Amino acid sequence: MAIQLEHVSYTYDARSLLRQTALQDVNLELAEGLLTGIAGSSGSGKSTLLQLLNGILLPTEGAVRVLDMTLAAGKKPPKLAPLRRRVGLVFQFPEQQLFAETLEKDLMFGPVNFGAAPEDAAARARKALKQMGLSEGLLSRHPLQLSGGQRRKAAIASVLAMDPDILVLDEPGATLDQISRMELTSLLHYLCREEGKTIIVVTHHIDELLPYADRWVIMHEGRAVFHGTRRGLVDEAERLPGCGLSIPQPIRCWRELEAAYGLQAEEPCLSPSALADRMVRLASAAAGKERVYA
Amino acid sequence: MHEKLLIGRLIDTGSPVHRLDPRAKLTAMLLYAVMVVCARSWLALLCLMVFSVLMMALTRIPVRTYLKAAKPLRFLMLFILIVQCFAVKGGSVLVAVGSWHLDSAGLEAGAIAALRMVLLVSFTALLTFTTSPGQLNQGLEGMLKPLEWTGIPAERLSLMTGIALRFIPAILDEAQTILKAQASRGADLRELPWKEKARMLTALLVPVTVGAFRRAEDLTASMESRGYRIGAPRTRYRPLVWGQGESWFVAAFVLMCLVIVWIGFY
Amino acid sequence: MKAGKTRLQKKTVPTEIHGDASTPDGIEPTESIENIEADMVVMEKVSFAYDGQCADIHNVSLSIGRGEWVTLAGANGSGKSTLIRLMNGLLRAGSGSITIGGTKLEPGAIGGIRQKVGMVFQNPDNQFIGATVEEDMAFGLEGLCLDAEEMRSRISRYASSLGISDLLHRHPQELSGGQKQRAAVAAILAMEPELIILDEASSMLDEMARRDWLSLLREMHSEGRYTLLSITHDAEEIAASERVLVMHEGKLAADLMPGELFRSEELLRMCRMVPPFRTQLALELEKRGIRPADAGLGSGTVNMDLEDERIWPFSWNM
Repeated sequence: MAIQLEHVSYTYDARSLLRQTALQDVNLELAEGLLTGIAGSSGSGKSTLLQLLNGILLPTEGAVRVLDMTLAAGKKPPKLAPLRRRVGLVFQFPEQQLFAETLEKDLMFGPVNFGAAPEDAAARARKALKQMGLSEGLLSRHPLQLSGGQRRKAAIASVLAMDPDILVLDEPGATLDQISRMELTSLLHYLCREEGKTIIVVTHHIDELLPYADRWVIMHEGRAVFHGTRRGLVDEAERLPGCGLSIPQPIRCWRELEAAYGLQAEEPCLSPSALADRMVRLASAAAGKERVYA
Repeated sequence: MHEKLLIGRLIDTGSPVHRLDPRAKLTAMLLYAVMVVCARSWLALLCLMVFSVLMMALTRIPVRTYLKAAKPLRFLMLFILIVQCFAVKGGSVLVAVGSWHLDSAGLEAGAIAALRMVLLVSFTALLTFTTSPGQLNQGLEGMLKPLEWTGIPAERLSLMTGIALRFIPAILDEAQTILKAQASRGADLRELPWKEKARMLTALLVPVTVGAFRRAEDLTASMESRGYRIGAPRTRYRPLVWGQGESWFVAAFVLMCLVIVWIGFY
Repeated sequence: MKAGKTRLQKKTVPTEIHGDASTPDGIEPTESIENIEADMVVMEKVSFAYDGQCADIHNVSLSIGRGEWVTLAGANGSGKSTLIRLMNGLLRAGSGSITIGGTKLEPGAIGGIRQKVGMVFQNPDNQFIGATVEEDMAFGLEGLCLDAEEMRSRISRYASSLGISDLLHRHPQELSGGQKQRAAVAAILAMEPELIILDEASSMLDEMARRDWLSLLREMHSEGRYTLLSITHDAEEIAASERVLVMHEGKLAADLMPGELFRSEELLRMCRMVPPFRTQLALELEKRGIRPADAGLGSGTVNMDLEDERIWPFSWNM
């Protein structure tokens, strides 16, 4: 288990007038090497959840176990640096957090902080840039000279350069155009499949992540109200509107199909091409049957 | 989410003090500052404390909340206390270590200085607790307006303060996110040695400044597209109205001011 | 005020000149002066040179009729934001002429034009000027020199029509993204503009808020008082509008109906978009030699209403 949350609650400003409970009794187990999508309306506690995963926030109740480390409420946390190197956290609008004068320095910042030698850090910077599909030519540029989409990818690369085992992203596609968002999603999918990273990503575009995510977590009012596979999400899709989410088109389409053809036990096809393939097979099967009857 | 920023946050209890003309409250605060400066004896401070608590009660906001507003400055107060203890000599010797000794006069002076600080900071929170930044700003502009002939650009100043008040919390939020992002990349401000801390904070300046400029640009576009031009005629949504309540409120402060000054003379 | 009323009445004259316009430049050479008067936005050969921040615009001519709902689409850097900022004088065109609601955009006329044009921007936080929703709504009205009574009545009227009456005393940081954008719209509508420009106003909203937003736009459109011009990447929002202008490298690349845009792979790529899921599915099926019933695609409008539980494309004949 890469990540385990046991009865985790988090309250902001626990001792002040402004106390606000952001998470309540969350229990989750996120397996290694999978791509997990987290969805929920704003204010459902998604961002808080992510910040618990690398010790930026410590639980006010319960325990968070990440890899071999435990962050328990009320206990002095272990040294956080090793945890943070292995769990890369990408905040919302990460391009706004770049600060060095060249992209290369920014990319090297993480590795150097975690004790990598300069040459080693430079090599990692290069690798991370490539993993995010950007060219090395950008290394000497000032981050502000890049386009919006490039800057976003570069900022993700700056976390990736630490070579984390777990990559956690808070709405990486926000305000990007659709094609850039989809490029980003397929990059994340690649990192998960080919490089064995555990990826946890918060998204407002469930439909676009559906073909890629292995697991889903739905957050609502500080609780994890759903945690399961794609199949499970399809089965329980009626619950989404109650959580401030609408049922994504791919799920609607698939459910129309499965209701018509009794495919409830099957792994759902949620991308246009997969769904079309499945429909073609259904059509030819039907045609075959007709032939038999004839 | 900012305990630190309790000062500067409106707490709307709908009390009569909330409804007062902001100019009256601003005047009262100036008078209060004068009182704090003049109150140098325990008696004066006691009177001032009673007066302060009464005024705070009028706002229907618990006194505890006012004290919390002063909390971020506790180290400064401690510092003042210690400096006074060292600097002021006289009275009886309380503690003596070698050639150094803490005198009763020093301790008294320190205690009074710290208490005055607490009073000043917690009481002036009354202004921000009961007045929205917009009103506050309008009051400020109203008070500066008569001075415009001296070359004080009242409108510009109030616009500037208004925008600053509106955006400081947002910019602090942003700075906090950047700090968190840097902590995630292995530079946790809490764990770094002092020298590194300073370096990190300067690194913070770049994205925060860029962010502030981005906001400023957006805001300018929003203001301009809503027809705002500096110097253009405008009407007021809430015109400032000085009524009897305001006069009484200010009169109470003037009276108290006289009392404090009088105590000072005897 | 009086001038405003007569303008309002004028608007009810049907001016759907461009409902069927599909010529790339969208300018009919034979337009009478009457029609130009009736148009909300007329741009003729407008150019703008790169100023270090905003993209170039080359020789753009277009017109938008009153009451229309037009989407401005295109990749980032294609000049969409520049174009709309030219319309209310936030940027000044290098050449060409711009007429808004019959008034030519000139330095002296900018004040009047900004009264006619309301703009809602992308970032809900950064366009909030007042410290509360109420103060923010009042900000624009104060500039119109209305008396306090009129301001109060407008604020309560528009706040209630947008369903934010309860939020009037809230600080922007206490609002959700969707509530903030609603408040921004309320602040604009209270100024009673004729043209409302939305600059990626929904892009920072979450899914539910985006749906609310879309129904808000639908309402505003059906009211008939407003001309809507919206920059958006959101496929649903585009599909709900009546007409799409596609910008590409500072030029107007196309002027067509949303349904046509979703069928043109080239234009979609230009806008860095993909078609809505059901359209993609239909295209994939077509590739595999299955033509779904003509519903939806043939009419030129892709039905994307989420509540719509039509069984197309599963109703094809097998």
